[in-house]
Amino acid sequence: MPMSGEFKEKILAPLMSISTGKDLKFVGKSILRKEGIDKVTGRARYVDDVKTPGALYGKTLRSSIACGRIKKISFAPNIPWDQFTIVDARDVPYNRVLQIESDQPVLCDGVVLHREEPILLIAHEDPGLVETAIRSITVEYEREPGIFNIGEGRILKQYDIEEGDWKKEFAAAEVVFEGEYKTGAQEHVYIETNGFIACWEDECLTVHGSMQCPYYVHKALKYAFKLQDDQINVVQMTTGGGFGGKEDFPSVLAIHAALLAKKSGRTVRLIYDRAEDMASSTKRHPSISKVRTACTKDGILRAIDFSFHIDGGAYITLSPVVLSRGIVHAFGPYKWPAAKLHAQCFFTNSPPYGAFRGFGAPQSLFAIEAHMTALANHLGMDPAELRRRNFIHRGDTMPTGQVVDEDPNMEALLDRALELSDYKTKRARWKRGGGKGISLSTFMHGTGFTGSGEVYLASRVGIATTKDGGAEVRVSSTEIGQGTETVFPQIAAEALGIDISKVSFRRPETKVVPNSGPTVASRTCSVVGKLVERAAGKLKQRLAGADIRQHYAQHGEAYEEVEYVPRPGLVWDDDKYKGSAYGAYSWCVNVAEVTVDPVTAMPRVDTLTATVDVGTIINPVLAHGQMEGGIAQGIGWATCENVVLKEGLMENHHLTNYVIPTSADAARIVVEFMPSPYSEGAFGSKGVGELPMDGPGPAIVSALNDAMEAKFTHLPLLPEEMLK
Amino acid sequence: MRSFGYAEAENAQGLAAALGKGYRIKAGGIDLLDMMKERIDKSERIVSITGMTELRGIKERDGGVAIGALTTLNEIARDETLRKAFPALPDTVCNAATPQVREVATIAGNILQRPRCWFFRQAEYNCLRKSGQACYAVAGDNTYHSIYPMGACHITHPSNIAPALVAVGAQIIASDGKNPKSYDIRDFFLTPEQDLKRENKLPQNEFITEIFLPKMPEKSAYVEVKEKQSFDWPLAACVATYADKKWSIILAHVAPVPLRATLAENVVGEKADIDENLALQAAEAAVKTAQPMAYNGFRVHLAKAVVRRALLKACGKDFHA
Ligand SMILES: Cc1cc2nc3c(=O)[nH]c(=O)nc-3n(C[C@H](O)[C@H](O)[C@H](O)COP(=O)(O)OP(=O)(O)OC[C@H]3O[C@@H](n4cnc5c(N)ncnc54)[C@H](O)[C@@H]3O)c2cc1C
Repeated sequence: MPMSGEFKEKILAPLMSISTGKDLKFVGKSILRKEGIDKVTGRARYVDDVKTPGALYGKTLRSSIACGRIKKISFAPNIPWDQFTIVDARDVPYNRVLQIESDQPVLCDGVVLHREEPILLIAHEDPGLVETAIRSITVEYEREPGIFNIGEGRILKQYDIEEGDWKKEFAAAEVVFEGEYKTGAQEHVYIETNGFIACWEDECLTVHGSMQCPYYVHKALKYAFKLQDDQINVVQMTTGGGFGGKEDFPSVLAIHAALLAKKSGRTVRLIYDRAEDMASSTKRHPSISKVRTACTKDGILRAIDFSFHIDGGAYITLSPVVLSRGIVHAFGPYKWPAAKLHAQCFFTNSPPYGAFRGFGAPQSLFAIEAHMTALANHLGMDPAELRRRNFIHRGDTMPTGQVVDEDPNMEALLDRALELSDYKTKRARWKRGGGKGISLSTFMHGTGFTGSGEVYLASRVGIATTKDGGAEVRVSSTEIGQGTETVFPQIAAEALGIDISKVSFRRPETKVVPNSGPTVASRTCSVVGKLVERAAGKLKQRLAGADIRQHYAQHGEAYEEVEYVPRPGLVWDDDKYKGSAYGAYSWCVNVAEVTVDPVTAMPRVDTLTATVDVGTIINPVLAHGQMEGGIAQGIGWATCENVVLKEGLMENHHLTNYVIPTSADAARIVVEFMPSPYSEGAFGSKGVGELPMDGPGPAIVSALNDAMEAKFTHLPLLPEEMLK
Repeated sequence: MRSFGYAEAENAQGLAAALGKGYRIKAGGIDLLDMMKERIDKSERIVSITGMTELRGIKERDGGVAIGALTTLNEIARDETLRKAFPALPDTVCNAATPQVREVATIAGNILQRPRCWFFRQAEYNCLRKSGQACYAVAGDNTYHSIYPMGACHITHPSNIAPALVAVGAQIIASDGKNPKSYDIRDFFLTPEQDLKRENKLPQNEFITEIFLPKMPEKSAYVEVKEKQSFDWPLAACVATYADKKWSIILAHVAPVPLRATLAENVVGEKADIDENLALQAAEAAVKTAQPMAYNGFRVHLAKAVVRRALLKACGKDFHA
């Protein structure tokens, strides 16, 4: 039972002042992406580009039911089955995929818990024959009724957080307002589908693949094959996007490829096409939130009662941490004297939901932000004004018990966003229901893993001198299109005091690079970047001013490695689920302007303005890229990305009918950074990866409500729904 | 890996000979290669016709306009003559697909492209249009399917340019290498009721050489509603033309064929100038026979909107609301 108000931490000393970039040579500069030229000239090698003469092509036989038992598998007689490699559950040394838990089988062993669950793997030199062969296998099932709705099945994970006397606040409140908010699943649509190539040599396994987290794959392989650390090498190939979709899912795929390779004694390619990737891989968790708030007549918030429910799918995967990140963002950037936060994730017979940019926070922030706008309308108040009256400040306590020890500056971000978008004029001019709408969202996003996550990760970063007088950064943090390969050399060059052209980035492979943790959670630039900064500082000290080339010639490679140390004073209590959820937050205001065709209800997001504090900007062009890409993804989630679920499966697993915005549909996106640096982030940086995904949804749905004089509380909000 | 034979035709005789041996024509290849990659089209022999330059270009002839079969969508979009005489025609293609696709996609390939029904487009669904027994759209996600039932299969016709050609009664000129053939585009396309496996009458041994538009309309307009502004087919579109005291109102992307809205044409009659009220009545008549499926009812509303707007636009009127 959480005990309200018991956990308190002391306010930390003010953050040390940090340079804002004027005296810096590489940090704060838009250095050209190091891997950019290879990508635009086609030189970059993605996993499917790797030539593997004599390799086998693998394919997965998947369940066509959502829940039940496998009765019989029959192989049609017209296929020379002895020429194929066929793997089933009995071939897996330990038939479990290790993630947070290990409940998920690598291959079904009789029981089916979701559509498209892998049952058999099959490989052959001729990919065409593999296709034919797969279709010549019949599986007979004993069907059982499945569970497809949030709240109907077993609880996968639950958190309860309380702060202050919320019961009393609700009883005494002048105004109590409540609403229910729903968000749909979302597919990542990374430009490169998932794929792995596996081969074994002398009991040692090497896998090449598209991924975000080489050490997650490493851990899962080690577990399933009962291997030692040094028997496995996981090599990341150039990766065409991830957005969370290549955080947990590649572990499954890598084991599959390795199983086929082991049984056949050959190199095996297992590369999904788009339809298989969309049907079988993870998606954003759908959510239902119930929000009840107490406030005064003039809109001063007194208490929140937030109940957050998400669909976890058939296995645990990363759902507990998605749920956690969701609930610790649910209260938004506001001051609440009292709060009751309740979060539950449920099992269903959907393919497991997984990581997706924002990791639960976009879902809970959609609810609180849509709610704040609805509450303002209920009070007859401007939604910007309601927010302004309630922003959190330094010294205030969040419902998690975390005392804010930075300046959120939400007022300044808000003022600037309203000014840039000419919010006041437009709001006054555009009548409700007149086809045009303008609305906003104000929000924050934590940097790094939640709670004690970073402590458990204990990330390590290495840096080594090179023969040519430069340095090489060694991390397992991957370049997935966001700029790791460029910003780390920027940070290292700055800290070492050598030219950026002399700093290279070692392609992550687990045999070579230390484990700097997964490439997730808005942690790479800020948290891992700080370790790069420290490692480079240490190397610089060791070199003591010596010329690197000469030093190398005399002593060989000089290598330094550092490990994460938590910021002093940060406390998190895993049992009570209270404390400092994050070392720092990024803060943001979005204003969305929309036009809706009054006859067809076709929406258009005309402009999306974002004012942003993500701390020091290491590379302005890349930071803009993160903001614009995340906002475009948010526009898609809000207006058109409709995952049609049938028995838990994404029925429209095709780009023909899963509509994502093109560059012609993405709004005019206006981004202005207003940095307040963070001492524990690399050169003062905070997280920027996930934040942009949080705000567009609620701002757009609220603006559409204004344009259509409606009261929708869900997304995606499709034209056909507005027509009704 | 599946391999296939590839040839290049230099002239009509060569092409006819190749077709005689069962070769399939590749023009721009946008649709054909896509279908082959998805293993839906199992052609074993392909003949490219892009070298037959005589099939390319737009010419005025006999009071009309002849468009060579290999003329690309962008050549049509940029053509000055068409832009002046029949603006709806370039309008149908100037925003179709993507700029890259429009540079290679040809007019003949466009009207012959296969349906976009996503069950049809996936090898794993053996639907009626392939050799299967069921139309998966009936119980499945049918958001993008036909709202006018015309048989057991519920595709929509994917061509943007076909409705403009139907509106002016274009002739499709084809050849079997020896004799020219001519098809009236108004009965060129086949509904699923007429044929479940084919969308038009062109026999395998013939190829299109040109599309002939006998007469330019006095008024014309094209209006579409799209979900994505690029990289996508419309949800509904309409071409309206006026010539010889007659309106042609053709709906696209809502039925298995470019659909002539005869009821709507009857409503507007001979009237050259159409007001808001009449346009609305015509629009209502156009959707009278619509029978949407479970998920696509909203597209009836869109069909109505494009008919009304196309008529008003053709009369030079603003159609905002
Ligand atoms: C992303 C995308 C979006 C698209 N959006 C649209 C859209 O909005 N509207 C639209 O209309 N289309 C759209 N398309 C489809 C595209 O316009 C067509 O695929 C293209 O026009 C086909 O022309 P092609 O020359 O490439 O034909 P091909 O692929 O070469 O051929 C198509 C078919 O026609 C046959 N053929 C071609 N030429 C001849 C001939 N002269 N005689 C006999 N048979 C012939 C071929 O054998 C084949 O069966 C889109 C395509 C893509 C990829």
